[in-house]
Amino acid sequence: MHLLNLIRPSFKLIAPKITKYGLFLTMPSKISTCGTLRMIYLNKNISKNADNIDLDEWKLVVLSGLEKEAFEKASPEEEPNIAAIKEYIDMSRRLGKAAPENITEEQLKRLIEYPSVSSRNRYLAFLASKEMRKNAEKEKKKKQQEERDALRKTIDNEELIPKSRLFRAIWESSMDVVYNWKAAQAMSFGQPLVFDMDFNDMSEREMQNTVNQMMECEGANRKAVEPFHLYYCNLKEDGPYHKEFLKRYGDTWDNLFVTVTEKSYVELFPRDQIVYLTADSPNVMETFDHNKIYIIGCLVDKSIRKGVSLARAKRLNLATAQLPLERYFHWKTGAKVLTLDQMIMILITLKNTGNWKEALEFVPKRKHQGFLDPSLQHFIHRQKNRKISQQNFKKKLLVEELSKKRLWNGLWEE
Amino acid sequence: MGFFLPIRNWVLQTLTFLPVSTKQNFTAVYRRFTSTTLCRWAESIDSKAFHPEMKIKDSSMMKKKTGKNRFPPKPFSAFAAGSSKMRAICNTNNAVANDSPSPLNIVSPPDTPLSAKEWEKLKEEYQHFKKFENVMFESMITNHSPVDVAKSLLVAIAKRDGDIEYNYLVMYLAICVFHKDIEEIYDIYNIMKAKYKSLEASAYSLLIKGLRDSPHWKETLVLLEKVKKVSFHSKQNYGDCIEGALLHQERNLAFELFHEMVAENLTPALTTIKLFFDFCQPVKDDHLKNKCTDILYYLRNHQIYPDESLMLSIKQWFESIPGENWKGNLTSMNNSGQCPSCGHFLEDINLSEEEYINVKEKIKRDVIEGTDVFRNTSPQELESFQRFMNEHPPFDVVIDGLNVAKTTLRNPSSKTLLDVVFYLAQKYHRLLVLGRRHMLKHSFQWKKSDMDAMQKKADFFFTDNMSKDDPFLLYATFHSGGHCMIVTRDLLRDHKAVLSDSVTRRLFFKWQRGHQMVVSSYVPGKILTFEDALPYDTIVQTDGNTWHIPYDDNLSNRASFEIPVKWLCLQKK
Repeated sequence: MHLLNLIRPSFKLIAPKITKYGLFLTMPSKISTCGTLRMIYLNKNISKNADNIDLDEWKLVVLSGLEKEAFEKASPEEEPNIAAIKEYIDMSRRLGKAAPENITEEQLKRLIEYPSVSSRNRYLAFLASKEMRKNAEKEKKKKQQEERDALRKTIDNEELIPKSRLFRAIWESSMDVVYNWKAAQAMSFGQPLVFDMDFNDMSEREMQNTVNQMMECEGANRKAVEPFHLYYCNLKEDGPYHKEFLKRYGDTWDNLFVTVTEKSYVELFPRDQIVYLTADSPNVMETFDHNKIYIIGCLVDKSIRKGVSLARAKRLNLATAQLPLERYFHWKTGAKVLTLDQMIMILITLKNTGNWKEALEFVPKRKHQGFLDPSLQHFIHRQKNRKISQQNFKKKLLVEELSKKRLWNGLWEE
Repeated sequence: MGFFLPIRNWVLQTLTFLPVSTKQNFTAVYRRFTSTTLCRWAESIDSKAFHPEMKIKDSSMMKKKTGKNRFPPKPFSAFAAGSSKMRAICNTNNAVANDSPSPLNIVSPPDTPLSAKEWEKLKEEYQHFKKFENVMFESMITNHSPVDVAKSLLVAIAKRDGDIEYNYLVMYLAICVFHKDIEEIYDIYNIMKAKYKSLEASAYSLLIKGLRDSPHWKETLVLLEKVKKVSFHSKQNYGDCIEGALLHQERNLAFELFHEMVAENLTPALTTIKLFFDFCQPVKDDHLKNKCTDILYYLRNHQIYPDESLMLSIKQWFESIPGENWKGNLTSMNNSGQCPSCGHFLEDINLSEEEYINVKEKIKRDVIEGTDVFRNTSPQELESFQRFMNEHPPFDVVIDGLNVAKTTLRNPSSKTLLDVVFYLAQKYHRLLVLGRRHMLKHSFQWKKSDMDAMQKKADFFFTDNMSKDDPFLLYATFHSGGHCMIVTRDLLRDHKAVLSDSVTRRLFFKWQRGHQMVVSSYVPGKILTFEDALPYDTIVQTDGNTWHIPYDDNLSNRASFEIPVKWLCLQKK
């Protein structure tokens, strides 16, 4: 670390252009179409004096610059392996690859543990983007602060604010009181909504993402008109979830209006009221039932494992359901698995309005092409069939052309 | 004579093959390098982008092929090379490629070296590029500009800044490596060594590539060790080192490197293997001969198929062995498994007893039970299925009912299945049809009468509608023994993928080729044909006096789950 700190400023002195151009990859905004033509013209002019350029001059320049910094390269204090890897990261950053400027010991250790070049590069790119975002945020905050100061000055000067008002300004803390009051009410009278936290084979990143989403869920629930009574079931004391929660919430964790338990939902509620929500379920959810207890699997899986939560429901012999996404959307891309905060927003809206269309607004727009008109559903179905039969006909022609003996029907795998 | 042969060969190599290969290698290395620096631009350079011309060429070629002989020379087309691509062409409508012009082409580098002033002038002209030098170097690399031009730009930078940044050095190095300017590469190497304590992977691999055919080629081994310290080896680096060693007649070192590479679980590139056969040609001693045949055994054990150029090298190598008089022929096998050119029978595809039991256990553990039995089925169902299998004597054929029934859309599903079952019942005694419970419910697709008729001819097992039927299919076939066949059009790739180790995966694929029957064509009431399973194994094989080597020809794009159809037959006379 010391070594890098020494070397870097020296490079900045020698080559100030690094900092200027280092971070930007730019596309040419104006494309000059006659570039080649101009170049030819240039070449004609130049070819006269081409002979008197000393082409090896650059070596001398570089080597002369070398002696100045030679003394700065001394005394590597760290382990040779770690120093070499730090050097390696620095070198790839100079090449323009995505790599962070500063890296902590812990991150280095994790980096070394990655088993392949691509996974290391991915981790480095992740760290680099994190660093970049952090810097950008810092700058933004600074700017905002300055703006605020300027505004305050002008306000102070002009004294625009009237002195007497009906209310005091409503700060966030007073809103919190209201929200907490509602949440407390939900704790005693609200409909339960269970998060199943018995998924322990997640990677660290996945676990962090899950807890992120859980915090959003809790926040969204608090702000609802009529919140759910949230249950965090199967949450092991000192398990990975618990640790991550404590890390993110801090002291607030003990003051949350949420029931946290190590018990399973099967012990807490009667089985016939439980509905496990999973995208793999064969049953489609028709309406939101205010007497049922819905369970959401608290799982982010980046390595797509199919049917994990369905297997759980099957083991405990529970009813399952999936959201009627197919019925309401022209689905475009992406898995039908939604994030936890999207799920809870949908459920909250359903609970309070019972309107599917309003609830499903929370499904990300990039995943679908808009809602299906229910009156047109039959027509669209027919259209689809016609399209398929047309395609099949085309295919048939092609296949017959390819080989008159063989027939492919295009349905290779069921 | 013995001395002249390798040289002649070497010259031939450089004349015919090397220019092409280096260009490819070079762009590959450079692409790795650009893909991270300029993601957006790298996209448009990507070679995998779909080219409409290529498709036209391909389909016209296929037409010609089918026009000549109506029955394409394919013994088994489900796994034959190129068949998945053919299917893909049938399935997709014409995709339109969007090859937007790459912005790199807009700046064309000058043809002659410029002075520093002229570079400044040029830079002012292209003010909209924030990193003018970068863009210029990139375009030089893509346009293969001469070294002098790049050098003059470097001089201009050095004059202005008093130093040269690392990325410019690396890009200049890439240009030098392409033009094989060995002295310049060595100079850059020395400068880099003096200036930086360690480099990163792309510079190392460029240096290794550049130095391999210079007198300083031993430095490449040092560089190889250095890469190891900070990053992982790539097969490219090893391949370049091996090439360096072979070019300088250090065969033993090359073989050592090869073994080191294999020990590190790197699969050598086919071009690297080709080098061994090219450079070891006048086989003087048995030692060298054994080492080369070891490579062939390596190909066999890892199920690597040579491409056409490697196959030609192998053929030449065999024919050049003095005193043994090998003769090589290119053929394709027929369904019987007898080589048409020498009459030898190829290896049997059946697994050995031990392998069979091993695969069976792994399938039960990984495919059916997996991490959670409930994901595919339930314990009760598994138990009842096992009871069912134990109660019945071994089956001859196991049919994937739902898959077979959906062969055509023109027929009700049950009718299709009925036809297939009746057809198979003529040939085999004991049939098992696997299906789901919903098939029993009378509907338009599933007629009750058909189902009843079938049940007289075959045994049935219905799984739950939510369960997966494929694992049961595999289990039933394996349980019945080595003679049992499986009828499905599914390529079973997802089940192959969940097997835990690559050896089992390979054995499973071998079993699959030998035991899977596919409905190849079905016209209701008229035609019903099956593609029978292959009786022989597609693998590099020998019996001392003959070698049979399957290879990929340059025209068919083989997918990873397919096998080549062409063979090289080598025979001692």
